[in-house]
Amino acid sequence: MSVTQPRTLDDLPHGGFGVEPSAGGGGAKKRRSTESISTWRWGDRIAYGMCWVAGISLCVIAAAIVGYMAVRGLQYLKPSLLWQHPSGEVDQSKSGGFLDPILGTVLLTVIGIGLATPIAVGTAVWVVEYGRPSWLARAVESGIEVVAGTPDIVLAIFGLALFQNGLFGWMSFTAEGGAVFGRSFMTAGAMMSLIALPMVYGATREGLQSIPRHMREASYGLGKTRIATIRRVLLPAVRPNISTGAALGMGRIAGDTAIVVILLGASLRLENEGSIPGLNVLKGTGSTLTSYVYNNSPAGEGNAAEKAYAAAFVLLLIVVGLNFAVDLIARRGAKTGLEGTRLGGR
Amino acid sequence: MTTRLRRLGVCAAAVGVLGATVPSMASATPVITMSGSTSVAPLATLLAKAYVKKNPGKVKFKLAQGGSDVGVADVAAGRVTIGNSSRDPKSSDPGGIFFNKIARDAICLVTNPSNPIANLSQDTIQAIFSGDVRDWSQVPGATATGTIDIVGRTAASGTQDAFQKIFMGSKTVTSSIAAKASNGLVQQAVQSDKNAIGYVSLDFINGVSPAGYNGVACNLRNAKSGEYGGVRNFWMVTRGRATGIVGKFIHWVQSSKAAQAIVGKHWVPLK
Amino acid sequence: MFERLRQPWSDQRAERMLGALACAVLVTIALMVLFVFKEAWPTLQHNGLVKWIGPGGNVDEQIGRMVNGDEDYHLRAWPLVWATLLTTGLAIALGTIFAVLAAIFIVEFAPDRVRAVLVPVVRLLAAVPSVIYGLIGILVLVPFVGNHIVTPGNKKSVEFVVQITGASLLVAVVILTVMIVPIMVAIIVDALYAVPRGWKEGAVALGVNRWRAMWTVSVRAARPAIIAAAVLASARALGEAIMLSMVSGSVGFAPNPFDGPLFFLEPLRPLASTIVEDAESLQAPAVRSSVYAFALLLLFSSLLLSIAGFLAKQPMKKYGARI
Repeated sequence: MSVTQPRTLDDLPHGGFGVEPSAGGGGAKKRRSTESISTWRWGDRIAYGMCWVAGISLCVIAAAIVGYMAVRGLQYLKPSLLWQHPSGEVDQSKSGGFLDPILGTVLLTVIGIGLATPIAVGTAVWVVEYGRPSWLARAVESGIEVVAGTPDIVLAIFGLALFQNGLFGWMSFTAEGGAVFGRSFMTAGAMMSLIALPMVYGATREGLQSIPRHMREASYGLGKTRIATIRRVLLPAVRPNISTGAALGMGRIAGDTAIVVILLGASLRLENEGSIPGLNVLKGTGSTLTSYVYNNSPAGEGNAAEKAYAAAFVLLLIVVGLNFAVDLIARRGAKTGLEGTRLGGR
Repeated sequence: MTTRLRRLGVCAAAVGVLGATVPSMASATPVITMSGSTSVAPLATLLAKAYVKKNPGKVKFKLAQGGSDVGVADVAAGRVTIGNSSRDPKSSDPGGIFFNKIARDAICLVTNPSNPIANLSQDTIQAIFSGDVRDWSQVPGATATGTIDIVGRTAASGTQDAFQKIFMGSKTVTSSIAAKASNGLVQQAVQSDKNAIGYVSLDFINGVSPAGYNGVACNLRNAKSGEYGGVRNFWMVTRGRATGIVGKFIHWVQSSKAAQAIVGKHWVPLK
Repeated sequence: MFERLRQPWSDQRAERMLGALACAVLVTIALMVLFVFKEAWPTLQHNGLVKWIGPGGNVDEQIGRMVNGDEDYHLRAWPLVWATLLTTGLAIALGTIFAVLAAIFIVEFAPDRVRAVLVPVVRLLAAVPSVIYGLIGILVLVPFVGNHIVTPGNKKSVEFVVQITGASLLVAVVILTVMIVPIMVAIIVDALYAVPRGWKEGAVALGVNRWRAMWTVSVRAARPAIIAAAVLASARALGEAIMLSMVSGSVGFAPNPFDGPLFFLEPLRPLASTIVEDAESLQAPAVRSSVYAFALLLLFSSLLLSIAGFLAKQPMKKYGARI
């Protein structure tokens, strides 16, 4: 990479910034400017001070949040909480742990990403590789941006309107008078996939766009059709990008509360619906760590701050872990990326 | 293994799994759905659990909340099988529904534990909640100082209806009241604010200090004996007279000893 | 039968399938707007297309009457709209300043070790779920404000209108700012790095100090990115429901800026939080269509924001800065 190349950053949503400056990255780094701020005007000195305050306060705030959650979480987190079922008792010593919320989070994340990834990858492939007619491609791009900018609460309400229709009764539970409940893992998972969609789409699209043309041309030159090129050459090359996008999407799904509160029904435990094993869990209701924390906080019903802290700590660990995984994948992908495929690099 | 063999294996497994579920598919347990009052919810949960234990596999329960008015509206529209209501039938209720009384319950006036009040007369309560009296210094027996923070319930609540009817009579509650959506939230608000006063169902007085009403302390004994004045009814509302599985459940709640024993724990049984 | 599918697909078929997939995404979005509009239509019809956003009466009471099935209901949701405007506007204003300063710090002034810490920190902050921000807000900041900043005199002065506890505009804006700053910092840092070095070096060569060079050259060149960041962050702030419902007091009250410093201590409830809190009583038809009307308003706002951001960036294109 040349010295003046701007650092590119794919590892934060909608851009981000890289971590390590390249090792001999230009002589400018080796010698700090000898200018001292005592020569500056007062206004500039104040601005300099404010920049420092802004930067350091970000660190302090993050440390405070993580530190406080860690202190409180460890104070109230007993390992038994992780595998006990919750029960709706007012007495906290009997109200069990949060196994079901953890299962709910995992299940919802899997459903959401499972739905989002194929759709997002397919759409990105179509937009980058085909994209005819071009007004349609632009419309799809804008559409995905609209979804990215839509508040999750609006998506949740839309999901409710959509899935309370008789047509979608198979996705959840139908009450006696014919009213469709509309809330279940399947419906919540469908909406979760919408919020993860823009991330996977963006990551895949950037990955596809960064593959140099000569790889495609080499494949065409060998007589492969476009779809075969996509399947055998391009998709394996963008696997790290897809993984990054998927991990980002999973982080966002795991942390989302509004959709869960509205679309997952409000049962503390995983309540199954119907009797086909597997499908009955999907059609049933439950809770996730996020809705469990919300309900146990003073804003919800439980009034159990200790449980809320413990669950919030677990949630924080999960989300931080996912982001760490994003970092790892991105770094590993950058190293092996194109070189990992059979056609690239050698 | 060739791909064809692998594919055949997957198909066989899928058919096997589906086949194993066919017998259980034929007999899906009926579900009784309930929604409505947050005051009735703890009692309804206990009753449902006991009933399921007594009749395993015969019926399942789903419980939602939302407030008495939501329960009544839901059952009238057929969205749930039973609506829980903690207020008496109103003339504005939709038609075609039937109220089954299952228990009685006391409403307690509660204050923060740092400000215990032994007794409140009806006049004082009306003055406080209508906004005529705004400061703790004007309330006899109170040790707190400063503005009174009144906490109440939203319009959908049966407890709010009962409070209005029993305690407030014809006076209206001031609009600056903090309206909470459930008993639990009122309990929390009063617990965390030294200057707060509110009203909750008898089951929710943990962590707050109940005040006496017209000279009678608010506890289960006084409620059962009839001395305490602030007692209201709990109803399970059904669409038309309850029949079939729902009818059996409500009959069990109203007349079986076991059910009334459960009611007697925190609420006033029917007899 | 499976053999036919396993044969390599022709390009045309693949293009059509993938195109159908992409169109399905578009159709879903169009469906979303249509559904929300259809559900919101009764309220719009009953209250007049725009009048329901206006002021008039206590919105909590009005929603309460709707739950009871009152035929003669009307909705004047101005307190909720005003609350949304306040929280979003204040958070964006504060957040932009904070984010630009922090971005300049990261790009220019931070020693290498501090930068190596700060970058993962920003990424971490962007990833923390909003319910955790809300939890810390409601368990730490709200009692702090309620016990130490709110004075009895404050409470007395508004006792006829609303109750002041710690849950207030102040806590809401502070936490919302902390939530949106990491998103903005990421984008602005990206843009600052992309400014050609020659531009800044030219300024420094002319004797300008580092801060001024950053401010007058790089930040100015990165203005489109700052706007894009602000648009993105405001979309997030508009839709923030859970955290705000936990810390902002849940009262449909329109804080009055003429109350002076008391303005920041008054409780409020933005549109998104109202949707979450009223989602339980969604069965009453009037409440249902009102809630969908709120959602429609939010949807329109985020669409308008994107368009506004796009339009605001247009005149800046001629400076040749990276958009």
